[in-house]
Amino acid sequence: MKETFKELYDSRHEYAREWKKKTGGKVMGYFCTYVPEEILYAAAILPVRILGSHEPQDLTEPHIFGMFCPFCRDCLAQGLKGKYDYLDGIMIAQSCLHIRQAYTSWEMHIPVQYSYYLCAPHHVQSPRAVPFLAGELQDFKKSLEGWLGRKITEADLDTGIGIMNKNRTLLRRLYELRKQSQCPVTGLEAMYAVVSSQLTDKTEHSLILEEVLKTLEGSKSERPAGNRLMLIGSENDDTQFVKMVESLGATFVVDDHCTGSRYIWEDVPAGGDRLAAIAQRYIKRVPCPTKDWPLRNRLPHILRLARDYKVEGVILLQQKFCDPHELDTPAIKKMLEENGIPTLFLELDVTVPVGQFKVRVEAFLEMFQSEVLF
Amino acid sequence: MISAGIDVGAKNVKVVLLRDGEVVSRSFETIGLNTQAAIDGAFAAALRQIGAGRGEISKITATGAGRKEVKFADGELTEVGASAKGVHHLFSSACTAIDVGAEEGRAIKVDEKGKVLDFAVNEKCAAGAGAFTEAMARALEVGVEKMGELSLKSRTAVPMNAQCAVFAESEVVSLIHAKTPKEDIARAVHDAIADRIVSMARRIGIEKDVVVVGGLAKNAGFIDSIKRTLATDVLVPQYPEYAAALGAALHAATPTGGQ
Repeated sequence: MKETFKELYDSRHEYAREWKKKTGGKVMGYFCTYVPEEILYAAAILPVRILGSHEPQDLTEPHIFGMFCPFCRDCLAQGLKGKYDYLDGIMIAQSCLHIRQAYTSWEMHIPVQYSYYLCAPHHVQSPRAVPFLAGELQDFKKSLEGWLGRKITEADLDTGIGIMNKNRTLLRRLYELRKQSQCPVTGLEAMYAVVSSQLTDKTEHSLILEEVLKTLEGSKSERPAGNRLMLIGSENDDTQFVKMVESLGATFVVDDHCTGSRYIWEDVPAGGDRLAAIAQRYIKRVPCPTKDWPLRNRLPHILRLARDYKVEGVILLQQKFCDPHELDTPAIKKMLEENGIPTLFLELDVTVPVGQFKVRVEAFLEMFQSEVLF
Repeated sequence: MISAGIDVGAKNVKVVLLRDGEVVSRSFETIGLNTQAAIDGAFAAALRQIGAGRGEISKITATGAGRKEVKFADGELTEVGASAKGVHHLFSSACTAIDVGAEEGRAIKVDEKGKVLDFAVNEKCAAGAGAFTEAMARALEVGVEKMGELSLKSRTAVPMNAQCAVFAESEVVSLIHAKTPKEDIARAVHDAIADRIVSMARRIGIEKDVVVVGGLAKNAGFIDSIKRTLATDVLVPQYPEYAAALGAALHAATPTGGQ
């Protein structure tokens, strides 16, 4: 059953095409997890996160500066190659300039019916951020209604919120299992579970998750966790990397990245104005480093995760040229090391240099065994 | 009891045999197209030096990029771990080990027991490794073993930007066309490598004593550049290219026996 998530991940384009045929609904490609999918589900639109393919390409050079991150170029390349030709619309919520460039370029060069730039505020620590975003969501809802030619009601919003909250709650239950000493879920499996939820209909995804949880909760795993690691980074669906690390006698037991825990950690609160409640969720969520200032609220959160999941070491995986993450890395590294948790920093481009990284990860893991060796 | 350490690097195989903690044999073979033959050849040569048979070796630890090729090894160690262990054995005062091989440069921070505390490895760039000197020696038409003494004759620093080994070669060609003395170019090459390695080592923090090992440590010009870049003295063992093989042999000699 757990393999279903990998299958969904691998066949994301076929899935979306099939979904359209089956439902006759619209599919919206989105670029960042600050996009309020609740409103899209309320409008019966399927939100699909636009991700890269981790393959080298030569199409984006005329559109995106070479020193922008490999992820934004990889995403745009998928559009230019026609991989997402089934999308009816695209949208982004403001996070970093690089991914916004991919969105803008997509809008210019790849025909879509609808596109929307949502101004998600950077200063999420301001007391005015929630009302500001609620206003922006109002505008977005109006725009969406104009495109669809129908109203999105309060009841629709409640449906959308319900679908999202349920899926996040289930994924957090899957994460909870990873606290066990013999975790029944590997980091790779957890990653497939979260990323596939960004690519498929969450109602359907939740049904699969419930089945998976039924078999996993209360069952014991045969696989020893080995060294318990945490993965920190940006968008990190680098499954090849996770697989390689977990083949060396270690397990990623938790993570902080937007294809992982940052996507699922909070729910939309119940009651009150529905758009304000959605705004509240996106303002108060575990922040992306583009929004985590002047205070670095992510630091205590990361340390708490590391302790709750009994993390022995942390791998900081960095997309080349990702300035927001580069800015946070020294602070995260320092904080973890002061708390006795060693870190390994790895920087990657669009492909994972498995051989080079393996050498470093092996040496990193060797550090944990040194008491026996030396 | 004899233990063996076999370091299968990117370019050469190095073997060290230890008898009761003392090095009794060292051998070396360049890997051509057949890694297996080079491993067997180097190991056989090391045994021949002390007239020992394969059966007399109690435990073997393999290290290096090609360590999986040593099918008969009892255990393995990463090149970072092996190098740290070797360096600590050679100089117990070592806090920072700089290990520069043919294709990889490593900076390792070790504690007073030789345990790895942190490390950094060069990536996607050959300009900070030994192969770069070889390419530059070819461009200068001097033997790679002459590069060191040649650069020590230089009295003038020529800035060179070695972010990339290929572009650096075109810079060397320009310097040759501009009739820059060969010794100054040789020094520029070593300074450029030292810059790359030292800036990488600064990521983990440099603490004395600094020990430089690996094949490139045999190049006196490079060592001179490292000293100037670090503005401190460094320690170089007599056989720097065998440091990781020594570390592996020491590992093989531990009670857990190379596992």
